[in-house]
Amino acid sequence: MGEEEAKQEEKEEKAKPKEEFKLSFDYFNESRLGIFALTIGVLMAIFPGLPAFIKGVGIMIVFAWGADSVRKTARYGLGTGVPSIGVLAMGFGIIGGITGIAVASLSFGTLVVGGVEIAFGVLAGVVLLALLGFVSGNLANGDKFINMKIPGLERGMMELGMAGTLAVLIETSIVAGTYDITRVLPSVIDNGVIAVIFIISAFGMLQPLNTCLGADERRGRTLLMSIEIGGIAGIILGIVTTLTLSAFEGVPLIVLGAVVWVVFYRAYMKACMEEAYAVKGTGLIKTLGG
Amino acid sequence: MEPITLLLVLVCIIIGGLLSSLAVHLMPVGGAPAAMATATGIATGCVMLMTGASVTGLFTASTVASFWATNPNVILVALSGAVGSMLMMGFTMFVGNLIYIFGAGIVPCSGRVAVDPITKESQTEYKTPRTDGHGVPTVSFVSGILGGFSGGFGGALIYVMLVSDSYAHFSVATAGIVAMGIFIANAIIAAYNIGGTIEGFHDPKFKARIRTGLTCSLIVSALCGVIVVIAMLTGTLVGGVM
Repeated sequence: MGEEEAKQEEKEEKAKPKEEFKLSFDYFNESRLGIFALTIGVLMAIFPGLPAFIKGVGIMIVFAWGADSVRKTARYGLGTGVPSIGVLAMGFGIIGGITGIAVASLSFGTLVVGGVEIAFGVLAGVVLLALLGFVSGNLANGDKFINMKIPGLERGMMELGMAGTLAVLIETSIVAGTYDITRVLPSVIDNGVIAVIFIISAFGMLQPLNTCLGADERRGRTLLMSIEIGGIAGIILGIVTTLTLSAFEGVPLIVLGAVVWVVFYRAYMKACMEEAYAVKGTGLIKTLGG
Repeated sequence: MEPITLLLVLVCIIIGGLLSSLAVHLMPVGGAPAAMATATGIATGCVMLMTGASVTGLFTASTVASFWATNPNVILVALSGAVGSMLMMGFTMFVGNLIYIFGAGIVPCSGRVAVDPITKESQTEYKTPRTDGHGVPTVSFVSGILGGFSGGFGGALIYVMLVSDSYAHFSVATAGIVAMGIFIANAIIAAYNIGGTIEGFHDPKFKARIRTGLTCSLIVSALCGVIVVIAMLTGTLVGGVM
């Protein structure tokens, strides 16, 4: 009996050798990851008073969602590069983020319940950008317009708009600690931090598919990299937060970012080594025993 | 805020969006094949090339806009943005051509037309078999400069409407980054429409696809404009601190 079971197991392992990583995204398929990230992202975005390192976890999840949407949109070959899709997400994100912050700064945009700020107004930006993304996806896919015939492009563009907006909102609330426009303008927008936010978020979304793209691209491995870039973003935003708010907010975020970076870099490299047919080190990067 | 101001901002955002979409269609974009000199144009995608040109345009436009203490002249600022973008496109195409000619040793020629419409020189003899042209020939260079003009003017027009204190009156950085966001949203739709490479206004693709591109750009910029107008209506972004 033991032998048969062992054989069965061996067969299963041979058929699916790629599913055995500890850090697997198998449970979070495209829809589940989308719903989970949207829920977490919205929760992080409407409570600007949360500690920075908790919001740091939020941006990592939003980056993973954004990278998944870029993967959905760009895997069929669009005739424009993968980077453009990530930049598009952040172009959408900037418009939505600034609109959301403007609405949240209104008197009815932010409720204060028992000393806790709840900024419902930012959701206006998320909803408007979901609409804009859906319309542009329909324009690109509709047979009366560009007629690209890419399955799921409407959904991909809609998710890109929402993920980009959430990324801008959460990062703004990390750096400024609030959505009050009198504090957001000097500490995020006018000093140019918004450009840093733009490019690191774009990288978190575009870089995973851009590097892993190819015949053997696997979703779990691609998403590992997006979380790794979320760690790097955590370090950078932690430094900025230390300067704009206080070391009390910034240092835990730097530590979290560094830990996530190391853990997910190792996980990503291991996944690459184990899935490659053969690995030959050049000596430039330490090959983690591979 | 006066309704007429809101309407003017909306109209200018739509005009700016249409001009930037037109600009992307005018660019000589070669994509990855151009990196191996097997297609005409600059070796990058539409969006990256256009973003580079528009950001340069926004720099010159914001510099010129700062010459006025209040109420910058809309047309002058928009034209200065156009000049910045044209310079950026000109340098990119010129240096690209230097590398193609003296580095890779190829002759710039168009792959889509037999005779250059501007110089009237024959192109077919210079085209290597099984490639799609090389480098940036004269007609593509002129088309790229025109694209730089159109894109820079459009981007700077959006910027100056957002920054001017008689219109939206955002802070300089807010206006710049929002103008860039609208620009990118339009550029990507145009890039989808082109679907790969384009040589310029002489390319048969340009005539076949420009109408669809401009229609889509009209819808997308109108939506972006409505979103920005909503942000203006809240009144919280007005009079940003410098």
